[in-house]
Amino acid sequence: MEAHALLKRNGFDVCSYGTGAHVKLPGPSIREPNIYEFGTPYKHMFEELRHLHNRDHVLLKTVLVINLEVKDNHEEAAAGARLTLDLCQAIEDAAESWEESIDEVIAAFEAKHRRKLLYSISFY
Amino acid sequence: MASRDQAVALLCAARTHGDVAIKLSSLRQAKDILLSVDPSLAAELFPYLVDLQYSPHNLVRKMLLEIIGEISMKAMEHCHLLVPVLLALLRDSDPIIARDAVASGIHFYCAVLEEMALQFHQRGKVERWLEELWLWMLKFKDSVFSMAFEAGSIGPKLLALKFLETYILLFTADTNDSDNSVVGGSRRLFNISWLGGYHPVLDPVFFMSDANRTLGILLDFLRSPRSLPGSLIISIVNCLSAIARKRPIHYDIILSALLDFDPNFETAKGVLPVSIQYSLRTAFLGFLRCTSHTIIESRDRLLMALRALNAGDAADQVVRQVDRMIKNGERSSRESRFSTRDDQQSNQPVISMDQSRKRSMPLDTDEQANGHVVSLKRTRYDPSSMATHTDHSEKDSILGNGTAANASLVDGDLTPAEQMIAMIGALLGEGERGAESLEILISNIHPDLLADIVITNMKHLPTTFLSLPKVGSLPISRQLGSQTSPAHVIAPPIIPTQSTSLAPSSHVSTSAQPDTSNANTFPTDSKRDPRRDPRRLDPRRTMPPAPTSIVDDIGVVESEFDGSSTLSKSSSFSVPTPAENDLDALPLNYTVNVKEEPTPELDQVSTKDEGSCTAEELVHTSESDIVPEHSYSLPDEDNRDALAVSDFEVAYDAETSFVESDEYSSPADSKECLTEETFGDLAELPLYVELDEAQQRNERNTAIERIIESYGKLSDADCGSQMRMALLARLVAQIDADDDVVELLQKHITVDYRQQKGHELVLHILYHLHSLIAVDANGNPSYAAAIYEKFLVAAAKSLLDAFPASDKSFCRLLGEVPLLSTSALKLLENLCYCDVFDSHGNEVRDVERVTQGLGAVWSLILGRPKDRQACLDIALKCAVHSQDDVRAKAIRLVANKLYQLSYISENIEQFATSMLLSAVDQQSSDVELSQSASVEQREGEVGTQEALISGSQVQSVSTMSLPEAQRLLSLFFAFKLASVVLVMLMNFFFVLLLFQKPSLLQLVFDVYGRAPKAVKQAVHRHIPILIRALGPSYSKLLQIISDPPEGCENLLMLVVQILTQETTPSADLIATVKHLYETKLKDATILIPILSSLSKSEVLPIFPRLVGLPIEKFQMAIAHILQGSAHTGPALSPAEVLVAIHGISPDKDGLPLKKIMDACSACFEQRTVFTQQVLAKALNQMVDQTPLPLLFVRTVIQAIDAFPSLVDFVMEILSKLVGREVWKMPKLWVGFLKCVSQTLPHSFSVLLQLPPPQLESALNKYANLRGPLAAYACQPSIKGSVHRSTLAVLGLSDEMHIQPSHVQTLQSSNTASTQAAANLT
Repeated sequence: MEAHALLKRNGFDVCSYGTGAHVKLPGPSIREPNIYEFGTPYKHMFEELRHLHNRDHVLLKTVLVINLEVKDNHEEAAAGARLTLDLCQAIEDAAESWEESIDEVIAAFEAKHRRKLLYSISFY
Repeated sequence: MASRDQAVALLCAARTHGDVAIKLSSLRQAKDILLSVDPSLAAELFPYLVDLQYSPHNLVRKMLLEIIGEISMKAMEHCHLLVPVLLALLRDSDPIIARDAVASGIHFYCAVLEEMALQFHQRGKVERWLEELWLWMLKFKDSVFSMAFEAGSIGPKLLALKFLETYILLFTADTNDSDNSVVGGSRRLFNISWLGGYHPVLDPVFFMSDANRTLGILLDFLRSPRSLPGSLIISIVNCLSAIARKRPIHYDIILSALLDFDPNFETAKGVLPVSIQYSLRTAFLGFLRCTSHTIIESRDRLLMALRALNAGDAADQVVRQVDRMIKNGERSSRESRFSTRDDQQSNQPVISMDQSRKRSMPLDTDEQANGHVVSLKRTRYDPSSMATHTDHSEKDSILGNGTAANASLVDGDLTPAEQMIAMIGALLGEGERGAESLEILISNIHPDLLADIVITNMKHLPTTFLSLPKVGSLPISRQLGSQTSPAHVIAPPIIPTQSTSLAPSSHVSTSAQPDTSNANTFPTDSKRDPRRDPRRLDPRRTMPPAPTSIVDDIGVVESEFDGSSTLSKSSSFSVPTPAENDLDALPLNYTVNVKEEPTPELDQVSTKDEGSCTAEELVHTSESDIVPEHSYSLPDEDNRDALAVSDFEVAYDAETSFVESDEYSSPADSKECLTEETFGDLAELPLYVELDEAQQRNERNTAIERIIESYGKLSDADCGSQMRMALLARLVAQIDADDDVVELLQKHITVDYRQQKGHELVLHILYHLHSLIAVDANGNPSYAAAIYEKFLVAAAKSLLDAFPASDKSFCRLLGEVPLLSTSALKLLENLCYCDVFDSHGNEVRDVERVTQGLGAVWSLILGRPKDRQACLDIALKCAVHSQDDVRAKAIRLVANKLYQLSYISENIEQFATSMLLSAVDQQSSDVELSQSASVEQREGEVGTQEALISGSQVQSVSTMSLPEAQRLLSLFFAFKLASVVLVMLMNFFFVLLLFQKPSLLQLVFDVYGRAPKAVKQAVHRHIPILIRALGPSYSKLLQIISDPPEGCENLLMLVVQILTQETTPSADLIATVKHLYETKLKDATILIPILSSLSKSEVLPIFPRLVGLPIEKFQMAIAHILQGSAHTGPALSPAEVLVAIHGISPDKDGLPLKKIMDACSACFEQRTVFTQQVLAKALNQMVDQTPLPLLFVRTVIQAIDAFPSLVDFVMEILSKLVGREVWKMPKLWVGFLKCVSQTLPHSFSVLLQLPPPQLESALNKYANLRGPLAAYACQPSIKGSVHRSTLAVLGLSDEMHIQPSHVQTLQSSNTASTQAAANLT
């Protein structure tokens, strides 16, 4: 959420997704969040996602997937958000398309922040 | 119609409007219209779309691509115009557009493929337009493939890789294996297995082997990962893993490649093994999740690899999940089996499962086995010979124990068709008894259901029946194995019939989907592939009884095994497996007698580690198993190992079944009888004979000849012709490009070409050779390459020789061959360019041939990006050919067609420019050379001398050595050639200029100054067209005019003249020209064309300069001035012109008086313009001027000469001159007197007005005046008015006598002159 907010403040087009027991969204007060049950077994979700991963790629649009490990606490979330912003900006600032520069961007990021990133390229 | 017009308007706006936002919105609206109207209507608008590809705006091109992507799917039939655009956009400078172009292309590629398959399926043919589209798609494929290799942006490359993946998936038979249940979720993509082995356009064999080759390409990437960026490697790993999951046939090779791949290298940029490792990890985990048997077999290796990647936990978890799934599946299948045991219908799936499981078993064992055993085992586990003894013993045990191998696939719910199949099977199983019911059943089946049954059974048809060359490795085939074993091959004579008689069950084995074992052993040799088995065509082959005919053509060689396999099957399982066996009548009755006792023993065998089983063991097991009491009579037991394995097995099984049928003689089985009947007249199996090289070659040649001969005889069975082609291709690849054979083929090809078969054959052979070249790439490619080259050229030549120039075969051949070799290009070049000599050595240039060649060049440029440059060179070379007609054709091609192509237009410009420059520079070195060069060829020798002479003028004669002379000579000749091509060159150049590239105009002006006469003339000839095309407002032109390079004055004049010829020159142009005149170019000629647009105040200052021009230019200038413009009228009236001319002062304006006089004369010459009224008006004006113009009196004299009727007017003028004291101006005074003396007697009165001293001097000068003047003055009417002093001068003051007679004559002469004047006016 922190990263989401930060990115949004910086003008990125951002969407967030998550898994958990339920989804909490801000409510009338801090103690009354809107809670939505997922009601979907994790296994089912996993299967479905795997199906998405394996299905034929209809639109043939490239997607870059980057994994940045962030520990689940406030400090790390804030730090992670800044890192994410940094990374996103680096990708935006690099050459005309990320495909050309992703190796350099990732390497520079890793060298700068001493954090390992994983990335993959897929199609949808 | 309205929508059409609207769309046209929108598209035009999209092209021409200045604002990008408006362009885009217009385009968007146009797109909506295009998508909403009828496709054929939309197609009319495509030409407008096509133009947009050249738009400089990325967004416009991107939008264009979107439109093409959508509309081409909708209006596929009409989109042949759009596909080239798509191809062109692949090379777009913007990587995003290039990327999207690949994506759109992939979609379209799949759609075209699908459409082709469907069309053929539904209508039995493929429409012409679709075939053409497919040709484009082939080009698309080539482009995208090359994109994957060439250096370039990574974005498009990723998509190109994706296309490689798609390509492999499309053209690798989809075995519909277990994992497909997971995949899906989108519409089903085309798959090569749809074609079912034949298609008129798509050759399944070729594409399947091409898919394998493509896989090799992908795998090769992993071998040299260092040069690749991480993102590419990750994509490649992802692609490979997807392929392996979806097409298990490739799984093994991909897995090995991935396992061998070491992600811990440093990439070129020194980073990122982690992400690559992760991609590998994902791939391996993905494999683990698959329930495909092939993949499950390799589980240990996967686990090991995953542990090495620190993913052991994840791997274990996945394994547990999968195991649980499998176990659940098994349980449910067992339940289903028990529940349905009675109705015997569920056996089929169980058995098929069982087989597919077993087929995958040999994976590991194969690797451990030694060579001999390998070949043996391959034989045994090969899907096409499934039912070996081990197999069916195993099958027994499994079936007997009721444990299914893998029930994950078992679907408890059988479809109606499957139920029906099972029922039919059961009925068949009952033999005679069931036959009647079967007949009734079949006659009652609804046609739809019957069709379903047939289709369901067709699933078991072999999907891979052809050899798939495996990349990078030589096939280890059974044939090889048998060749290496000692040559004591003993072939029992019964094989062929035996096999046919037992054929019914053969499809059990051949239905095997290609799986790992296939991958291990392919290419299966031709013996293994039943379709290629020559015995198949054996006329002695007997057709089995009706029920078996369905599958009779599938398994031939191996069917006998199946015969025995069913024996054992049924022995342990009282109900046979009819459902699996389709409609076969199985030899059930006698097999019942086979004992069950061997089953436990077999269980034991089957549970043994198969790797440790030797051939002997297997054989023994099976012996004891199936025919315990049978004493077979193989010739020599000790020799058995030496037998070719396959033959041995054939022999063994055949005999076994034979003996069985004999012993248990089941009368009910008709097939047994058949066996016996045919047994007697069987031919012997050919012996294996070792041939030396020469014999081999001879055999091959004979084989080729025979195949070719067979073409004529056999009917056009497509399958057969496909096979013939494949055979020929391979045979040709083996021969040493023997001349005889090539000739023979050539002959055949040309004969057959009309029916297109020849073409297909040539392509087939060439593609095969090409694939060999590709495979041999790291070995010695020269051999296959040499044959390829030779064959291609030979084929092309024979096409040229055999067909008229109008034939398209040659062009088509070059367009479709896999690779254009240098010699083929050379051939093409010769066709277009070089002189052709007939057998007598005479030159026979056939212009039609040139057209043909150039046509081919054009289509190659369009269709073969790799050879584009070479072809362009040919075209350009022809464009400067010395022969007019060749040149004209080539120029038309280059200028009208090729120059339109954005990707080569630059090359053409460069060529044209460099040719122009070199021609100009070469020639301008010596003007005399250029003159001598225009000498005709026949004057060659003279020319040479001239060249020597002119050369010596440049270089001093005394110092010129012999080599120098030679150099000059060669220069001369080279230059002579250039001068011949020059006119053409200018043609060429100017046509180019006309096309959107007027920036070259500057160049023309630049070189004009130093260009020789011929070039100048050519320029003069062409520039009017060009200039008119460009229009006067073309800014570049104005810029050139305002600052012209040196030496181009003449050209400049010409240009200005052209610009002003038909239209009123623009203000810009006038200003520019004036500016030029004022600054750089002082020659007033340049002003002439614009004079008509100048005002009086502008003309007058430059008037002296105009007068200073050569007389004809001056006349032109006068004409322009007097002509004036439509708006303002003439700048000067004729009278004003005259006044202006007289206003010029030789001293002040620096003009010689002669020039001014000439100008006057020029005016007088134009009597229709400078009439007597004009003269009078001008003179009237001038006479009042102070000072009087120098030439005034001269002009008066001329005026009276030209128009005598002006005499009275002239007298007035003269009087005025007297009033202005003309005697004070000496030059005028002389003229005045001359005029007076010429106009007597009219001038008497003027004379008398002179003051006495002047009169005196005049009379002194013209003494003859005195008498007549005195006589005139004596007249009474005159005398009174004449001053006394004047009379005194005349000597009349004292003596006042009159001489009437004199007056009389004067009067008469006066009337005469008046009459003459009247006549003149």
